[in-house]
This record gives sequence, structure tokens and C-alpha cells, in this order.
Amino acid sequence: MNTLEAPSFRRGGRMNALETTGLGMRHRRTWALRDCSVAVPAGRVAALVGPNGAGKTTLLRLAVGLLTPTAGQVRVFGRPARESGERMAFVAQNKPLYTGFRVSEMLRFGRGLNPRWDDAAARRRLTELGIPLDRRVGRLSGGQRTQVALTVALAKRPDLLVLDEPLADLDPLARDDVTRGLMGAVAETGLTVLLSSHVVSELEGVCDWLVVVNGGRVQVSGDIDDLTARHSLLTGPAETADALAARLPVVSRSGAGRQATLLVRDDAPPPDPRWSARPVTLEEMVLAYLRAPDAAALPRPALSPVH
Amino acid sequence: MFWLTWRQHRAQILVTGGLLLALGLLMLVSALRATAYLAEYAPPGCPGPAVSCSAVNHVVYTDHYRPVFFVFGLLPIFGAALIGVFWGAPLLAAEFERGTNALAWTQAVPIRRWLTVKFGMLGALVAGAALALSAMVSTWRNVFSGVTGDVTMEPGNFTITGIVPAAWWLFAFAVGAAAGTVTRRTLAAMAVTVAVICLALPAVFFSRSSYAEPARVVTADRSSVAHGGGTLVRESWVDPSGRELTAPPPPPCPLPAGVDARSDRAQLLGEECLVGSGYRHAVYYHPVDRFWRFQWTETAILLAGALAFGALAVLRTLRRRG
Repeated sequence: MNTLEAPSFRRGGRMNALETTGLGMRHRRTWALRDCSVAVPAGRVAALVGPNGAGKTTLLRLAVGLLTPTAGQVRVFGRPARESGERMAFVAQNKPLYTGFRVSEMLRFGRGLNPRWDDAAARRRLTELGIPLDRRVGRLSGGQRTQVALTVALAKRPDLLVLDEPLADLDPLARDDVTRGLMGAVAETGLTVLLSSHVVSELEGVCDWLVVVNGGRVQVSGDIDDLTARHSLLTGPAETADALAARLPVVSRSGAGRQATLLVRDDAPPPDPRWSARPVTLEEMVLAYLRAPDAAALPRPALSPVH
Repeated sequence: MFWLTWRQHRAQILVTGGLLLALGLLMLVSALRATAYLAEYAPPGCPGPAVSCSAVNHVVYTDHYRPVFFVFGLLPIFGAALIGVFWGAPLLAAEFERGTNALAWTQAVPIRRWLTVKFGMLGALVAGAALALSAMVSTWRNVFSGVTGDVTMEPGNFTITGIVPAAWWLFAFAVGAAAGTVTRRTLAAMAVTVAVICLALPAVFFSRSSYAEPARVVTADRSSVAHGGGTLVRESWVDPSGRELTAPPPPPCPLPAGVDARSDRAQLLGEECLVGSGYRHAVYYHPVDRFWRFQWTETAILLAGALAFGALAVLRTLRRRG
């Protein structure tokens, strides 16, 4: 795949919410992100996955205009990221809020700085969550803090919501609350979400678009259902594995003893009857790519939704 | 944005306002007490330069003027340092340190407007507070003008009266803000701010006398120049032919027996002898009527510095906002 290939600006008539072209970010001598061209179509809930230090945070901070790219560009609904503050909301990893403020003052902050602010919805959301408006932000629990940060982001009525590790540091109950709140907002407004995570299991059923970054490069980008349908897990005798692997696009191989397992980017049934195939899960697929940093599955015409 | 600025910085604003109020009350009480004392005990025509006034001058100076002035004597250094440390340093450093830059600068309000409102509003408050202090000090000082004579050009006074305090405080504020963009940590920014101000203060104090070519007067009685106020730059001797000497000439008269040549008395006798032999003092000084010219010069220098540091803070923030 040609990683330099720019994603098309519109695909199937729908505008991309976020689009990066040849994006690169260098900190002194090392590239935190390189040749990154990804697109997130409008209306998607996209997961940005990668190991720690893969460049996820850098990509998100570039997307919201907090960082200035060393190379390439970022467009949000077709316009430069730094001119899109009104259409975009961002919640950084540590859920920054002014700890000395009361919750109601955080809402006043949002109201003062955003013309599209929906105060009634924000108050309703916090009341439903049982978060007292007169509580100081510094005294909130981790889950409540995330919910307040998410409320401030959602009340901006953004078209693109960018979340950096929104579920990290949360207990399972708070994770579920946050995920459900997010899904509710998506269903209600149809906004596009881009969220990063290094825990793949918590993304199943939440996200429908996947971007994998690894070692500062984009490895996978596309619709999750498409991607999982186009990959399969083959199991068969180890002595024939080499011959099979030579004919198929293998992403990763594993197995011990006489059994070999190949994860291949191919949905056709295996040519050798001694081999059996089964569909991959999202987690298996992501792990296979993370183990094989040189493999890539990037958008190509066949992966495009509608033509 | 205005509410946000007030909300984020109200602690500094209220504490600064409270301190100004306390200083104002201190000066008001001091001025009232001094006025009452003078009304009761001052002989007619006093306070003033007349010899008959010296007793009352001395009492008012030591009991009423000096204790309060002692507080202000520290203000040129502490006032600017406090503004730089508590107003300037946290302005950007705290946002970076707590990660709230990712919150503040991803809202619909563009970062340029955020910076404009913060710098504009806080800068105006800093300048306003400095001018209020300066006005209070000047008013208080007027009560004592008969006692102390005109001391407006004296370094301690010059720094806390007129418009120079506003320039100093704005300079410190900008230094603090710029330090915050360099260190991105509040405490480190505070330390850097104090260091820069500690370097800037003596640099400005010692360059003050070169704001203008000093006036030169040749006189037999050098105290006449000192009494008119103003600041002394340097002195030298002029020989009877009118030539200025680089080194002090040896006194032509012998010292009376029993006087140590190293003593002050010997020095005084030597000078009297030189004057008696036709030598004169050449005194280089800045007269008090240069007060405003010097005020504007120092203000221009400091505001240029404030603008440079302010621009540094803004550019660094725009370039590395993440």
C-alpha cells in the first residue's frame, strides 16, 4: 500500500470530518508521527488504537490544532484545524478542568467561550448524572470529572469530538457510564467522534471506524466491519504453513508444535483443505497488526463505502 | 472571556487591592497625624528650610516620615517582584502545568483573543494599581514637602512616584508571563522572574544618571546644590585658572597640630583651604525640574522591555500551545 496516497476529500458524497495528509511531527530529532494520512468520515465513531508511545496523543493534539505539524496538514470538515475551534471539542487525557472552579463555573466558562453553547442540555446532563453544580471540580471523583469534561465538550455542540484516552483511570462502572453517555450523544446529534485507547476490548460495540498507529505511522484505517470481514484466522498443520503463507497476505503467524495459526488479509476460503478458517475479532486483528509493524491495511478503492 | 479572566485571577486582584487599601490607610493615618502635630507644635513659617524649623522638621521626619517611608523604600523592589511572581508567572505557566491549555485553547474563542483579553485586562489592572499607589504616595509626600525639601529625584522616591511605577509593574508582569512560556512550570517561572527583576533593577538604577547630560555648576559652596534637590552625578575641582582637574589637588595649607590627616575634619579643613586659595567645586547633577523628563525616559525604556517580553510570551504561546 502506498501510505503517501492522500485520502480522497469526499467519499460516497459524505464529507470527511477529519482528514490528515502527510502529517508529520518531529520533537527535536525523533519523529513522533510520520507520513500520517488518515480520514474519519462524518458521523463515525472512530477508534484510534496503538501501543503506548505510538503517537496517538500527538495525532489527536495535531487534529485539534494544539500542536503545529512539522509536515503535512490537518483539515476538519475541509477547513484548517486551527480555524475549526467552534466545530470541534477536545478532552485531553488528564481531563483538564479548572480545579478551583465549581461545576457551575465550568459551565459558565464554556458558555462564555462558545457561541453554540447549550447550557440547558449541560445542566440536564449533569443533573441526570447526579453531579452537584456547586461542587468544586477538585473534589469530584475521577468518573465525575470525566463526565464534567465530557459535558463541557458536548455542550459546545461540536461536529467533531476528540477524546484522548477517555476511559483510562476509570472503574468499570464509570467506564460504562461514560461510554453510554457518549453513545447517547452520538445517537442524538450524529456527531463524529475520534477517541484513542490502548485497550482494544473496550471499543467493541462502541466504535465503527478504526485507525491503528504504531511507531509513529498509520498501519490500519477503515470501517471496522469491513476490516474484520476482510481478515480471517487460518489454522492448519505447521509443515504446510510456509507454502500457504507464500500465497496469502499474512499479517501475523503464531502457533506452537504441529499447529500453526495465520492471520491473513483475505476472506476467501483457504485453498488447502487441511486448513480451517474462522472470522477474526477486532482485538485479534488489532493485536496481529501491532505485532507486525510493517504490515498495513490502508484504504483503497475496494474499501470505500459507496461509489 | 472577561468573566474568565476575573474568575481565574481574582485572588491576585483582591489581594493586590487589599494591600493597596492597607497602604492607603497607613499613609492616611500618617499624614493626618503629621498634620495634627505640625498644626499644634510648628512655629510660624514652619516646616521649611529656616533654621528655626530644624527642631520640628527633625521630629516630623523621624517620627512620622521615616517609619512609613521605610515601607515604601522596599516597594520598588518588592512591588515589581510581587507583580511578576504572582500576576505574570502563573498566567501561562499554570495553564501549561495543569494541562488546561488543552482546554482553554480548544474552545471557539481563538487563542489570540484569549491572549489579548488576558494581557489587556490584567495589564490595565496592574498599571492602574501602580498609578493608584503612585498617586497615594505623592499625596502623602506633599504633607512632608516642607520637612524634607524636594526629594522627588532621590532614587527611592523617583521609583514610586509619577508614572514609573506603572512601567516597572508592567515590565515585571511581562517578564513573568514570558518566563512561564519558557519554563512551563509556575514555581520555576516565579524563580526566573525574580532573577530577571533582580538583574533589571540595578541595571536601570545605575543607568538613570545617563538619561541626560548632567548640568554643571561651578561653586564655592557645594551644599547650595544639594539643598535644591536633584541628584548628584559627580564632582571635581576647578583650579583658580578655571581648568578642571581630574585628581583632587593637594591642600596648600598645613594641617593644624593634632589633626589626623585621615579624619573627616582634615578633609573639611583641606577643602576650606582649597576654596580659600581660589579653587572651586565643579558639581555635575540633575536638577529637580528634570523629574518628568526622567520619568518619561525610564517609562519608555521599561515599556520597551515589557513589550519585548510580552511579544516573546505571545509568540512562544502561539508556537507551542500544546
